[in-house]
Amino acid sequence: MTFSTMFSTMAIGMLRSFGVFALTLLGSMPLGMIVALLKKSRFALVRVVVSAYISLIRGTPLMLQLLVWYFGPFYLFGMNIGSWRFPALILGFVLNYAAYFAEIYRGGIESIPVGQYEAAEVLGYNRTQTFMRIILPQVIKRIMPSVTNEVITLVKDTSLAFTLAYQEVFSLAKQISASQTSFMPFLIAGVFYFVANYLVEFVMGRIEKALDYYK
Amino acid sequence: MILEMKNIKKHFGDHEVLKDISFNVDKGEVVSIIGPSGSGKSTLLRCATFLETIDGGEIVYMGKHAARTNAQGQAVYVDHKELREFRGYCGLVFQQFNLFPHYDILKNLIDAPIHVQGRSKEEATATAMDLLGKMGIADRANAYPYQLSGGQQQRVAIARALAMKPQILFFDEPTSALDPELTGEVLKVIRQLADEHMTMVVVTHEMPFAKAVSNRVLFMDGGVVVEQGDPHDVFDNPQEERTKQFLRVFER
Repeated sequence: MTFSTMFSTMAIGMLRSFGVFALTLLGSMPLGMIVALLKKSRFALVRVVVSAYISLIRGTPLMLQLLVWYFGPFYLFGMNIGSWRFPALILGFVLNYAAYFAEIYRGGIESIPVGQYEAAEVLGYNRTQTFMRIILPQVIKRIMPSVTNEVITLVKDTSLAFTLAYQEVFSLAKQISASQTSFMPFLIAGVFYFVANYLVEFVMGRIEKALDYYK
Repeated sequence: MILEMKNIKKHFGDHEVLKDISFNVDKGEVVSIIGPSGSGKSTLLRCATFLETIDGGEIVYMGKHAARTNAQGQAVYVDHKELREFRGYCGLVFQQFNLFPHYDILKNLIDAPIHVQGRSKEEATATAMDLLGKMGIADRANAYPYQLSGGQQQRVAIARALAMKPQILFFDEPTSALDPELTGEVLKVIRQLADEHMTMVVVTHEMPFAKAVSNRVLFMDGGVVVEQGDPHDVFDNPQEERTKQFLRVFER
């Protein structure tokens, strides 16, 4: 196998990795906000359920969670899981990352001084306006470094999709390496992850800089 | 009568912070509240501006009840929607300014008038620039709060409260977070508002200022109004032993 066939085969895997990455972010970033707000709910039951969810997600390996989401429906309900692989993969990733994002958001929300809420209240902002106009913009600025960390981890974590035999770049690298007895596929995969994260750092750095107009 | 607070009671846990406090503010009147820390001055302001809820008593703005006591002796507030109207009557200036750091000065002043009161951007901006001019900081309209000195930030905070066109403005120790040399510029602005007959209630430790500016002084201690009256009477000829004792500390 020539280098270019190897690379073009793996390029498809890279696209798949990117797909997992993008869908996970798209799902987990908003879901994390909902989870963070539910954790501050007035209802004790909601808070308990949300805390249990976060503990469970953070306390077990993502790899194990992916296996549970994929095989669970078969063992529990005898469901036909033929076309369940990709949905289970995204579900596992989204629910996992949402828990981590929720904790980052919560930390950010709690770091905003109470005086900001009081000033907004006295000026007559309602709860939604206070959150959207006053609190959230300040939270976003404060949590950027932690979010960058999380996004970088996600780029590398997409490789865990190989547990469900999903043909992303890492799975392909393993297969091609075994069949061609070559180490080159791993190098290509490594460069792929590194370049992807370099881009993440660049983009997040630009966003942080754009938010630097106030302190 | 702009504000009447009658028999206000408030406790935090076992601690009774306000024990049956009553006081009124007339239109155009400037009332200073003095007293040692922990006497309940700030809590009283926070109750008047609806940041805290009272346990018992009545809050009446412009003759309308915002809260009254029911047969069981508990304070009952009007519903959420009506309370928003009452919030519109009063403005509050905080000790720590509490400006919105992510908005420039102008936006700090026009955001609530536009999005809370539904006023037009043009009108709100004109009002805001006018106020900033009065505060002597019109040239900083496009700066961000962190770029301003404490004194300037507090003047912006006063302008932000005034931009809502409140009937009454409350100040919670407006100069306590400022360096001594910046205190003067903020007091000057408040004095200017007093000259324009803005109705104000000022919690302060600046005794000469309270004496010079206010129509009436309340001395609070231990959750009660110990003494109140004309500033010259209260400062120069206090009747209560506790008032004398407190004021003596400031004479040194």
